[in-house]
Amino acid sequence: MNVAVVGGSGYVGGELLRLLLRHPEVEVSQVTSDTFVGKSIARPHPNLRKVSTLTFVSHADLRPADATFVATPHGEAMARMPELLASGGIVIDLSADHRLKDPSLYPKHYRTDHPHPEVLAKAVLGLPEVYRERLKSSNLIAVPGCIATASILALHPLVSIGILDDRGVVVDAKSGSSASGRDSGPAGAHAERSGVMRAYAPTGHRHTAEIEQETGLKVALSCHAVEAVRGVLATCHAFVNRPVEEKELWRAYRSAYGNEPFVRIVHESDGLYREPEPKILAGTNYCDVGFATDPHAHRIVALGALDNLMKGAAGNAVQCFNLRAGFPETAGLDFLGLHPV
Amino acid sequence: MTQCPECDAAVENPTMIPGEVFPCPDCGTELEVTGKNPFTVELAPQEAEDWGE
Repeated sequence: MNVAVVGGSGYVGGELLRLLLRHPEVEVSQVTSDTFVGKSIARPHPNLRKVSTLTFVSHADLRPADATFVATPHGEAMARMPELLASGGIVIDLSADHRLKDPSLYPKHYRTDHPHPEVLAKAVLGLPEVYRERLKSSNLIAVPGCIATASILALHPLVSIGILDDRGVVVDAKSGSSASGRDSGPAGAHAERSGVMRAYAPTGHRHTAEIEQETGLKVALSCHAVEAVRGVLATCHAFVNRPVEEKELWRAYRSAYGNEPFVRIVHESDGLYREPEPKILAGTNYCDVGFATDPHAHRIVALGALDNLMKGAAGNAVQCFNLRAGFPETAGLDFLGLHPV
Repeated sequence: MTQCPECDAAVENPTMIPGEVFPCPDCGTELEVTGKNPFTVELAPQEAEDWGE
């Protein structure tokens, strides 16, 4: 199957190329970037040095492909989506442009009206753990954001068993520097960012809308930048309407994820990493989820950890692509991570 | 087949004999085999540990 990557010069684009160039069923036919036209993909992605002769072409020169991965900044894919869908292939959008079902949320969270709200109804959110069957037939897959993915997967089993009260959920998220992209501005420079524990979005983070859409909960999200390149840890404080024992939570999480290839339940009484830890997930497509009960505060702390560029973006996109294309769901995604790292 | 006392995971290890210790495959808790037919387990005695912080 031939695939194209639109917006291939960013960190997510580079991660897509890393995965797709070694995917057993894929040939990467085109990669676009208006900034790097004519240059090797190894220029912005030196880890891909000497593994491919691909060079970037401009967005305008994109040709139809069996599948097109779109990794452009938010706001760009929404304008071109009718044209991309008309070409007849599968489109996997890694931007936020088709994640929200309600078009009225785009002005609020992304400061733009959606130019093609009719397209939103065609999109299936790229969460195999929730929408696996629908993903197998959708020609437009909208991959959720990294913090949203970690939060939704952490909370989904709790929502499923109906034990949360109506106070909503507080999500405290920490993320590595790659989450802000290749062009993160002066605040992302090493001299400024190194060593910070920066509350970069104490309120108002855009992923709030995705988490609320998928959980049905009122979400209070605060986001912090921490000393890491990759990784998201979402610590979700959920409040319960009755006493809950940990065994019940084990059953709920096991029921939701017991057969999932990329979600692991981590809540152990011994060992080096007893709860989900993003550090050991770097480069993998795993999302580790865990939980702890707090009877004193009638609270459950649900945890979700992942690599923001993998299960939080490119890896999850390839997992969705595998489902849609009929390939083994884990194809190209078998890296187990490094330890120590 | 029996359940882990900590997390309710189904556990069975027909090759083990009473007194042997193995980790629960889900929560990692160390379990001690207390019976073979039927297979039964209990939480294994834990040594106190300072995990830091």
